[in-house]
Amino acid sequence: MVTLGLIIDEYHLEKKVSEFLKYMQGKAKINLYVEERYLLDFSNMNFKEDIFFIKAKGDVVINLAKLIERETHIPIINSPTSIWLCYNRFLNSTLLKKVGIRVPEFSLNPIGEDPPFQNYIVKNIRDQKNYAFNPLIKEKEGKITVRDERALIEAQGGKENYQYLYYQQFVKSQWEYKVYCIGDELFFSKQIPLLIDPDKMKSRRIIKEIPELREIALKAIKAVGLKIASIDFLQSKNGDFYLTDINSSPNFNYIQNGVKIVGDYLIRIAKA
Amino acid sequence: MKIGILSKRNKMFAAKIKRYLESEGHIVELYTLENLNINQSLLKNDFYILKSKHMFFLYAGYFLDGNKIPVIPNVNLSYRHKNRIEAHYLIKHAGLLGPNVYMGMVEVLKAKLKKSDYPLIQKPLMGSGSRGVRLITSSEDLTTAGGPIYLEKYIQGIHYLSYFIDDKVCVYEKLPLSNEHSQVKAIEMTQDLIDTTLQWKNHYNMLFGHLDIVRDEKTNKLYVVDPGSFPEFSNWNCSVDPVKEVCQLILNEYVK
Repeated sequence: MVTLGLIIDEYHLEKKVSEFLKYMQGKAKINLYVEERYLLDFSNMNFKEDIFFIKAKGDVVINLAKLIERETHIPIINSPTSIWLCYNRFLNSTLLKKVGIRVPEFSLNPIGEDPPFQNYIVKNIRDQKNYAFNPLIKEKEGKITVRDERALIEAQGGKENYQYLYYQQFVKSQWEYKVYCIGDELFFSKQIPLLIDPDKMKSRRIIKEIPELREIALKAIKAVGLKIASIDFLQSKNGDFYLTDINSSPNFNYIQNGVKIVGDYLIRIAKA
Repeated sequence: MKIGILSKRNKMFAAKIKRYLESEGHIVELYTLENLNINQSLLKNDFYILKSKHMFFLYAGYFLDGNKIPVIPNVNLSYRHKNRIEAHYLIKHAGLLGPNVYMGMVEVLKAKLKKSDYPLIQKPLMGSGSRGVRLITSSEDLTTAGGPIYLEKYIQGIHYLSYFIDDKVCVYEKLPLSNEHSQVKAIEMTQDLIDTTLQWKNHYNMLFGHLDIVRDEKTNKLYVVDPGSFPEFSNWNCSVDPVKEVCQLILNEYVK
């Protein structure tokens, strides 16, 4: 039986992985590494696991993954660098654009300086915490601006107090497309965009593979270095797909047999 | 040439290199957090000097890199200086000694660190220099931080500030936990201090920089406790003019 190290935080442990842990019973021995309980000691490199699976993105989690990656040969899904790139919106947009993937225009500006495009959505700069998108939508004289409450809080106060905002050009789209990637397997769905209907699961439906989205998704996960991911797309009026979000810690409970697909994939990699 | 300088301040060393480069006939624009918009508008310059490692200047550097505009010093190496865990690995991979490192939530650290692990130094995970740095002598000194805390083993001994520009090394004795600008004491340089500094410089092919080094009073070994990719050279008192030398190295690097 393989031994799997699950690197996680209390939030994900409580809310997101109970089905996964149930499925893995009898298939893998699970060792838990919980962000809020773990002392990360960089002189301790004694890991006996066959594989590590990361289901969080806090600093202890990322740096534990770095220690394992740099001091052992144990596979880690996903790598710490890919998780870091995913939660740094500006960096992943820069990288994806560099490799030729169409992303909405983006800009990082001091508060009070407008971006060089009209319709935009203000998102949090680092999407590292466990909280939900809370959009404040404004439409005036044909211009649309959306501001995520989290971004405003982080920019103007709190611990971060960035005094900067991250702007992403707003793409008006009838549907939001979601591609889940688990190794080489891709799963496609669409839903009414979150800004129109915040209850994403109400309108979500499984769709047939869209070859163009497959091609972009595979290129994106390769560029970022992800093995398990979910990627969001919007489609403009002229039919172009824009990659708007890439996530290293998707909720695989949302796809049919997601827990089994992820569990079997991890066991396969551990045995390889 | 059109040159951009990414700097937290518009005075001190950044202002001096701006003046020097302008005197050499270049058009130089200084970007601070007041006027830095990170988007296509940055692509108008031929290259950039990354003076500060603040998060937004690093973002700008990565953006410029992604758009094939040269940035000196190297952006990713500068980021790795700024992130203490990355710096820990930089020190290790250069074949040098660094202090052991711990991370965790306050309650975990209090419960799991042994008495013999103290004294420790608490530092911000993303940081350089002495800002936010404090000595932790026992678990009672650990206070809630609203997130994980980064700690390093405190090495007792003599503390040094070692600058390097090209192959020129300048080392001073300094007070523990003091920053680059604090008063330093001239010392007679020893070969091991020079070797440690040049080993670092050559391993990462750096043009200039600085290291905080501690000589362990028990073992006499040298530990690198804080590297810097672009110091202010405020205590530099060696033969060459640091402004001219640094600017020439940057210009030569760009031409390469």
